[in-house]
This record gives sequence, C-alpha cells and structure tokens, in this order.
Amino acid sequence: MPDVTKAQTTDAATVDAVAPPAVDAPGKQSAQQSEKPRSLWGDAWYDLRHRPMFWISSVLLVLLLVIAAFPGWFTSVDPRDGDLVHHYLGKPQLGHFFQPDWFGYDQQGRSIYSRVIHGTRASILVGVCVTAAVTLIGGLLGMLAGYFGGWVDSVISRVVDIFFGLPFLLGTMVVLNAFTERKVYVVILALAFLGWTSIARVMRSSVITAKQADYVTAARALGAGTPRILFRHVMPNAVAPTIVVATIALGGYISAEATLSFLGLGLSDPTISWGIDISEGSKVIRDNPHTLLFPAGMLSLTVFAFIMLGDAVRDALDPKLR
Amino acid sequence: MRGARSAKWVAGAIVVALAATACGGGDDSGSDDMNKGKADPNGIVTAQLSEPQNPLQPANAKESQGSRVLRTIFAGLVDYEPGTGKLEYVNAESVTPNDDSSEWTVKLKQGWKFHDGTPVTAKSYVDSWNWSANIKNNQTNSSWFADIVGFEDVHPEKGDPKSDKMSGLKVVDDNTFTIKLTQPVSYFAYKLGYDVWAPLPEAFFKDPKGFGQKPVGNGPYKFVSWEHNKLIKVRKFADYKGPNAAKNGGIDFKNYTTADAAYSDLRSNNVDWIEQVPTTALTNYKSDLGDRAIDEPYSAVQSIVPAFYTKQFKDIDPKVIQGLSMAIDRQTITKTVLQGTRTPADSYVAPGVLGYKQGALGDIVKFDPAKAKKLIQEGGGVPGNKIQIQYNADQDHKPWVDAVCNSIRKSTGVECTGDPKPTFQADLDARDKEQVKSMYRGGWVLDYPVNSNFMRDLYGSTAAGNTSGYSNKEFDKLSSEADKAGSIDETVAKYQEAEQLLAKDMPAIPLWFYKVNSGQSTKILGKIKYGQDGDPIFDQIQVKQK
Repeated sequence: MPDVTKAQTTDAATVDAVAPPAVDAPGKQSAQQSEKPRSLWGDAWYDLRHRPMFWISSVLLVLLLVIAAFPGWFTSVDPRDGDLVHHYLGKPQLGHFFQPDWFGYDQQGRSIYSRVIHGTRASILVGVCVTAAVTLIGGLLGMLAGYFGGWVDSVISRVVDIFFGLPFLLGTMVVLNAFTERKVYVVILALAFLGWTSIARVMRSSVITAKQADYVTAARALGAGTPRILFRHVMPNAVAPTIVVATIALGGYISAEATLSFLGLGLSDPTISWGIDISEGSKVIRDNPHTLLFPAGMLSLTVFAFIMLGDAVRDALDPKLR
Repeated sequence: MRGARSAKWVAGAIVVALAATACGGGDDSGSDDMNKGKADPNGIVTAQLSEPQNPLQPANAKESQGSRVLRTIFAGLVDYEPGTGKLEYVNAESVTPNDDSSEWTVKLKQGWKFHDGTPVTAKSYVDSWNWSANIKNNQTNSSWFADIVGFEDVHPEKGDPKSDKMSGLKVVDDNTFTIKLTQPVSYFAYKLGYDVWAPLPEAFFKDPKGFGQKPVGNGPYKFVSWEHNKLIKVRKFADYKGPNAAKNGGIDFKNYTTADAAYSDLRSNNVDWIEQVPTTALTNYKSDLGDRAIDEPYSAVQSIVPAFYTKQFKDIDPKVIQGLSMAIDRQTITKTVLQGTRTPADSYVAPGVLGYKQGALGDIVKFDPAKAKKLIQEGGGVPGNKIQIQYNADQDHKPWVDAVCNSIRKSTGVECTGDPKPTFQADLDARDKEQVKSMYRGGWVLDYPVNSNFMRDLYGSTAAGNTSGYSNKEFDKLSSEADKAGSIDETVAKYQEAEQLLAKDMPAIPLWFYKVNSGQSTKILGKIKYGQDGDPIFDQIQVKQK
C-alpha cells in the first residue's frame, strides 16, 4: 500500500509502477529505471519528443494557427475583392510566391491565395471550438455516468444512445437549416450538439476502470469527498483516451464544416470558408481545376496535420495501441 | 428547371405562357450534316421534362413542365408568330372587339374535333372558362379570367361562388360566342394565346380529376400515357385541322432529375432535346455539340427588386436605386460569370415583345461607378449601408448574385451579400409573406407578347406579380389609360411612356435578358425552332428517316 499523501500527487506514477508499458524495449526500460520515475504525462512527452511525425504536424499547426490569427501578415489583398475584367478565372502563377496571383483567380476574379489564407480562421476556429465543447460536455457527462453508475449512468447512457442514433451530418444539416444567417458560432453549436457522444462513451469506460483502482479506495477511506476524488484522482487518470479521441476528431470537425459549407448549409457569405470555395470551384473544375485544388489542398493539409498529431498523442499516451 | 422559367411568379408562382405552336416551317440553315436526309413523318421526338406539378388541366399549370405538355395537347384560339409577336389565328376564325374594346366576339373555325371525336364548339370554350374560373375547382391560374364580367360571382374573394357561370360569356351559336370585359382592354386578344383559354370536351366535366391524368384536347397531339416521374407520351392527331399540324409522329417526354444526366443522354443520342445545358458544360457545349448547340434569346428578363415594405426601402429616394443600378457592370458579368448566356438589359421589357425599345432605360443601366456613388449620396445613401439579395440556392444563381454584389461593393462601398433560400418554394414563400429582408431576385418570362405584361402585371399596385409592395398612383393611372386606348399601337405607346416613369421611380433594377442554351440530337433534321418563351415549337420538329 503506497503512502497515501504521496499517492495524491503521483497517482500516475503508481499506475505506471503497477502496469509498466509492456512493449518498451528492455534496454530502454533499464535506462529509465536509473532516472527519476516519470509520470504518465512526462512519459508521453518524452515519447512525443522523439517522434518526427509529432514535430512535422506541430510545425504545420503552429503555422496554420499564425495564419488563422494574423492573415494580414501573409497577404494584403482583400479576399472578397473581385476583378472580373482582368482576373476572371486567371491561372495560377506558381513562381509568384505570396503574390495575389500565386494560386490564380476564381470565378469572381478574387485571389485564391488570399481566400485560402483568410479561410483558415473559420476552419481552425470551428475545429478547435467544437473539440473543446464536445470534450467539455462529453467528458463531464461520461465522467458522471462512469463514476456514479446506477440510475445516473442509465439516464446518461440512454441519452447518449439516442444522440448516437442520429446520423451526425444529417442531424447537423437539420439543425443548421433552422438558421438563415450562419456565422461561425452557429456551425460550432450545431456540430457540438451532435458530436459529444463518442467522447462521453470513451470517458465513461475509462472512468469505470479508474474508479476501481486502489488509490481511489484509499482516498475514500481517508475521507476525501466526491468532488475531490473525481477531479484529483479519477479524472487525471481517465482523461488520456479522451484526449486521443478528441485530437483525432478535431480534423474530422474541420472537414465536417467544409462538407456542410460545400452543401450550402455550413458557413455563409460573407464568412470565407474553404468549404464554400471548394463548392464553387467544383462547378468549373473541367476547365479550371485550380479553383478547386488550392482550397481543397489546404483543407486536406490541415486535417492531415491534426490527425497526425492525434495519432502521435495516442501512441504516446496509450502504448498498448501502438 | 431553367432559371427564368421557374422565376415566374405571376399570380402566385411560375407561369409560362404562349402556346408556341403556330409558326412557318422550314427554312433550314446550318451545317449540311444536320440538314441531310429525309424527314420521317412518323418519327418520335424524345424531349426532357420534369414531373408536372399538377394534373394536366388547362388552367392548372403555373410551371413550365405541365405547360409544355398541355401546349401539345390543346390548341387555343390564337397564337403568336415567334420573333415578331404578331397575332395568328389557330382555332379562331376571327376575334374582333367592339368600338371601345370592352366586348369581344369570337368566331370559331368549323369542323374542329376533340381527340375523342366530339366537335369543338363555342360551348366547349365557355364551359371550360367557367369551370376554370370557379373558385371551387381550385385552378392555380383562375385569376386569368378576372377581366371578364361576372368573375367575382364565380370566384369571390371569400366564401362560395354565387353562380357557376360568368355573365360576361355568351354563346351566340355553335361557332360564335361573345366576351364582355369589366373594362376595355385593347390587347385582350393577345391574352387568349395562353394555355388557360383552351376548350374542354363534354367528357371533361363528368370526371375532371380523371381527365387530369388522361387529358383529351383539340391540339396537334393526342395524349397516350403518363407514367408518373418517368414518361409522358403524346402522338400525332391525324384529324387535326389547325395550321400547325405535327411534322413528326409524336413526342416522348422523358423525366430527368439532373441537368447533367440529361446532357450526357443528349450526347449519346438517347434524348433529342434538353431544356438547358448544365453550368458545368457551358464552356464546352458548343465544341461538344457543334452545329447542334442552341444559343438563342427569348423574351425573359432578370432583375433585382427592392422589397418596399422593408424599413430600408420604405421611403427610399429612387436616386439611390438608380445609383445601385449604375454600380453593376452588366457587360462584364454577362460575358464572364454568365458565360454569354444572358445579354445586358436595357429596358424593363424583354426583346421580341411589342413595345420593346432598345436603350429605353438609357444611362440607368450603364456601368458608371463615379456617377453611381454620386447618385447614392444625393439620394441620402442606402440605409444601413448594406443590402442583401435573396435567391434560391437550388438553381445556379449564386455566381451572378456574388458578382453583382462584388460590383456594387467595389464601385460604391455599399456592403452587399447574397441571402440564399434552400429551394425555389422557400424563396417564393418569403416573397409572398413579405419576409424578404432587403432585395430579391426576380425573373419574368412573357405571358403574352405585349409590353404591358412586363409592366402592369409586375408593378401595378394590385398586380398579382407585384410582390415587392411597390405602388405608384401615377403609374396605375397611366396603365389603365393605356389599357383603354383605342388600338393596340396606342396601348403600346402609352406603356412606353409609362416605362419612362418607371425609370425615374425604379421599382426594380433590370439586369439582363435570358437566352436558351441547349442542344439537339443527331436524329433531328434541321435546327429546332424556338418560341418566344424559350421552349421549342414541338410540332415543327422533324425527325430524320432511319
């Protein structure tokens, strides 16, 4: 039985001690043993640092975040400013780096480069905010269901089942149809409204595992209250799978937004979104593929970066799946 | 469905008029290939159609699809010569007004028969009109009979009809009847070319509902079968007496759900005529089809209309709307974004209509950013400095709405965005319920080729087509004077005056006139001739002998 006061601060280490990662090479393990034992998070960070995939996706994401925050640093052209006279469907000038005609012009004579840059913000905002929202809602409900069990679990689980039964895209389309002017926050709400269920399920099952651990029993024996047990002991030990699922899903939300915008049900003018541009580009693809390829490429790159990061985080946090 | 077509919101929704039947045939031009070979008088034409909205009753097709079929089955009293809009008699021997055009006498040609063998008489017309106008029978186009004395008796605004006959219609003998109007309308004969004025056989009144599924008419084709959502077949009526007897054996109207599917079927010769080349193929269809490509103007205009019941446009200075009009670069937009499928509008009235005058609107439709800005400033600016253009997203309107908005924003600094409604129905509903937030897209295809149709029926204070809340006493007065004028020429000239009044008051901003962009298969002999409403003249199509 470990010292209880110590257990409060280093639960994670205890877990590691109980079940050391089976796949670690013996040599590496002995090297680790000579150092100070690391927490789950410390171990994950160590693991991440040594993955090129993590670094590539991180650099990409930082770049995308900077673009989303300060599009003006990358282009000075107004993305809504079209000039039909000279620039109607102008072809890309791939040598003109960072110039308005770098990626060519679209059907309205607007600079595609500028639109791709300015479209980043909507996509990133939707991705990050929806993920935050679903993690919050799904995480909380999943934790309550898993920890309390009994009727609380029954009620929450049935609600989850009901929401899970609704087709995700179809459901969001129905919700979005109710709005006439669709700004970024509307799309975020619609996606979050139906997206939280898988997180709730993952959280519930990992909380059920965590709450049976010895340190929880110990904490309860020492008189710790429910909130303390939940937030100090159970949550930190159950949150890893949720983070993995959330990071991977983030890319999915970005493409969901693009899908909805493509169908004319997501963001609407004057918001600039890759989905809208892809939709417009698809109509003239036979002669002007560049109107489609650049926003679509940017979208793929972003989703790819998030999913790659999600994979790296999963591998680091959940070595069993490696 | 084609843009202008479905844009028709007269009397509630989509109207396509003009029985585009009578027309001189055959001076063939174009490539040798298309004109080589002999015509097969029994060859079947396959044409694109979407499922008609309502049963096939003459006054029940407010949309182009049902109307397309009805026009082959029924022949009306009169028709118009394509291109000039000149009146031609079909089933009528003569249609003559009295001195002040308030009473009309119709004489029928003798010996006409319905497809079931019964004769076409004056009674067939009078009974048909009385039935169609009756509010109980719920025909979408019943308001077309409103000019006739006694219309309120059969179609009261509220409650049951007092009578089932309009007192203004009188049968004189088997081949003659008279029509008394509530007020003089000098061009009433022109209205008679529309579908709703068709005659109906005795058999109809026994079972109107069943008839709607299996209509019997007096036109160049008789109805054969209707497989819902798939196929409607009509075949040549051998006993047809009219000037426009079918030059082919019949028509198979085939249902398509997308323009793309129809287009690829056309290219593989599985269909002989399609409604409209899909946007995706617009740049290539001429090289795909060669001489078989069709690119012709028809009488329809597209405009953007301010909703005058909104706070924004309630007390607007017309100068502001003139300014917005001058901020739109019609030349460039039609050439680039619309790929030559429209021509810039220079009048409220579409070409090919009596009274269309080239350049009628003068500078108001010329692109001049500096003057546009000045006019808007002089008029006190656009309230909120922001406009929205409502359109239906189920058709290809977004590109031009965006382009118009860009043009306005760039030249005047007025913020402008599109306001898409998911379907045409939702778009129309918002207009009918006066829920348009700022401006809306309007399209208008002619019902009859007189300029009054493009003005009185749209901008008159009580006109069914007026959904913007526009009202101008002076214009109402002028148009009722014009209607009462002694001759059609005077009427047309008066309406031309009225157009100048509208140019000062700006009830709408005309954008461009429509064109048909379509194609025909290699099985067709010669180029297909078109009516003014943009539909082919089906009875004149010739099929090559195999």
